[in-house]
Amino acid sequence: MLFDPNVILGNLDYLLWGRMAQGEPGGLLLTLLLSLSAGIASLGLGIPMGLLAWSRPGPIRQTLFWWADLIRGIPLIFVIFWVYFLVPALLGRDVPGSLSVILALAWFTSAAVMYSTVAGLDALPKGQWEAAQASGMSRLQALRWVLLPQALRNLRPSFVGLFISLIKDTSLAFILNVPELTTVAGQVNNRTQLYPTEIFLFTAALYFLLCGGLARLGQATSRVK
Amino acid sequence: MQFDWTGILTGAPLEWLKTGIVTTLVVTVVGSLLAALLTLGLLSLRLAGQKSLRALAVGITELFRNTPILVQILFWYFGAYNLLPRGWRDWINDDHPWATLPGNVPLLSPEFIASAWGLGLFTAVFVTEEIRAGLAAVSPGQSEAALSQGFSRWQTLRHVLLPQALSNAFQPVVGQFLNLMKLSSLATAIGLWEITYQVRQIESYNSHALEAFAAGTLLYLTIGLIMGRALLLLDPAKRRPLTPAPQPVEVRDAV
Amino acid sequence: MNEAPAPIIEFRQAEKSYGPHQVIRGVDLTVNKGEVVVICGPSGSGKSTLIRLVNRLESLSDGDILINGRSTAHLDGAELRRLRTSVGFVFQQFNLYPHLTAHGNITLALEKVLKLGKAEADRRAEELLNRVGLADKGQHYPSQLSGGQQQRVAIARTLAMQPEILLFDEPTSALDPEMIGEVLAVIRQLAEGGSTMLVVTHEMGFAREVADRVVFIDQGQILEDAPPAQFFGATRHPRARHFLKQLLSPLHNDGE
Repeated sequence: MLFDPNVILGNLDYLLWGRMAQGEPGGLLLTLLLSLSAGIASLGLGIPMGLLAWSRPGPIRQTLFWWADLIRGIPLIFVIFWVYFLVPALLGRDVPGSLSVILALAWFTSAAVMYSTVAGLDALPKGQWEAAQASGMSRLQALRWVLLPQALRNLRPSFVGLFISLIKDTSLAFILNVPELTTVAGQVNNRTQLYPTEIFLFTAALYFLLCGGLARLGQATSRVK
Repeated sequence: MQFDWTGILTGAPLEWLKTGIVTTLVVTVVGSLLAALLTLGLLSLRLAGQKSLRALAVGITELFRNTPILVQILFWYFGAYNLLPRGWRDWINDDHPWATLPGNVPLLSPEFIASAWGLGLFTAVFVTEEIRAGLAAVSPGQSEAALSQGFSRWQTLRHVLLPQALSNAFQPVVGQFLNLMKLSSLATAIGLWEITYQVRQIESYNSHALEAFAAGTLLYLTIGLIMGRALLLLDPAKRRPLTPAPQPVEVRDAV
Repeated sequence: MNEAPAPIIEFRQAEKSYGPHQVIRGVDLTVNKGEVVVICGPSGSGKSTLIRLVNRLESLSDGDILINGRSTAHLDGAELRRLRTSVGFVFQQFNLYPHLTAHGNITLALEKVLKLGKAEADRRAEELLNRVGLADKGQHYPSQLSGGQQQRVAIARTLAMQPEILLFDEPTSALDPEMIGEVLAVIRQLAEGGSTMLVVTHEMGFAREVADRVVFIDQGQILEDAPPAQFFGATRHPRARHFLKQLLSPLHNDGE
């Protein structure tokens, strides 16, 4: 069995950053861009939802949890399709595939962020809330200055884990032909036909280094505290 | 937006959906069985006495947890499958009436095998981790009690620690198998005729995107619900009462 | 004791360290067959470690422990397991197997370690549950039993193996006060039946009435070893005196 590294070396730039030269980021670079955008968006969506669910137990929390379960209950690929078809219909104009992917991933991951936020706030000792109240803070102030900062610090490892999952989930952009790393690898494979093992092993290795590296980094920084 | 359900619930689209449902169910079942078997193997490695075997298990776990499942499936289908002996591949590509679903849908296909294997292996890695976490949650006193009675390390695992670990890990493990079912949707990327593939086919056949995707969504939700309920019935913790049994008023034991 | 004393446990210059921290320093202690020895001391004194060394839940750093005249410091594998089947250990936290009934807790090791048949194992289990006063609790799970009941099941579980030596690591320290009595009663019965026992405990009333000897350990060394009358009535070592004073009349500490 011949293992030919040339197919990798010959396509290395395309795999790593796509057609960056022509202003179209792709490959690993696009994977990172998609992940970061979706990650920030999912935090922006998920943390407020988590705050809402935590501070309003009862029907509001139930509804939010039910909504999150619904999203997590369908395959991510379907969420991507829904966004891909619905958003243009709602906005009345075409939406680039990468934006659909970002929105879908953000939406999907925000459910997990919401759950984590609620759990993180629940895990704080009750005394924190009481101490804040005792000094006359309003609910909002207590959340903003006392509870949320602590909860977020405790949740950092959990969020790092979600981000790592997000990076892996960007591979589903394959289905919309958005040229992130997995799609690009598939394109190279289609073109060259003879080296699937090398291509997909290399692709896996890139993800492994990225995700594994982040995981190690996450562990190291949380241990330093 | 108008909904035209007949467009997808009659004729060819209906047949396609039916094939999709069966394929999804079968790949889920076969993948789950593989996952269970592979979990046994991986868990044995993970808990082995020799450090090298444990390191191997950790290496495998790290590898499969830090790479996307889609890339793994693509690898198994495009890469690894072609490394199988020629004779095997020919046999798989032959017609096998015992492995054919109604509608002339072959089960024994490279797509199916790559999907079931890829999903099974991926899930086994995660289930093994959940069980390992369940083991870590068992109080160390249990180990001490068993060792004090003369149990060997393996006996302690088998009779005392693993039953408790499996009980601890039951819910997360069920979650992993449900996830396998949902991840089967990724097999559409390699052309397996499961639900997602069929939904896209319907959409390109008569453009009823909304109805088709709605149907697909409903199907996944329903299968997930049924699967979840069925698996939760197996929960070992259900058989053990948590609250004290009702006691008749008892006379204190005479000292 | 009507025969010549037969040493069944002998600590010979036993030492145990965790890194730089020495927990047991040069301990010599002999326990004869049928003796009931109570071990007491302040927390951190090493008293639990001392008995945990006997069934090798901890390993010696130096020295040896002879059981029935045979060295145990380097036992391993099947021989170590065999040793453990003849040394019973009762834990402070009971450590019953939560996924098994009381009956199941007792029969598990009988069937899997001693390889007894089911009928014999069942018979022993029922007899022992009866003996500790829990005849009707066989089918209950630990979560359904009180602390005192759980500890009694734990004792039954240990007795079922018919061990030569019984070790008790603060058997009543985790119990609510009203349940201490029922457990001490069972332990007392065992003592009166002639078992060889090492009991780590704070229950001085029990020590006074049941022990053949009381041993005081502090900072890893045995400082006092005497029959109860002498131990409580004419304590020699100043630290042992101090300890007893604190234990028996905590409100009258002058900060001595």
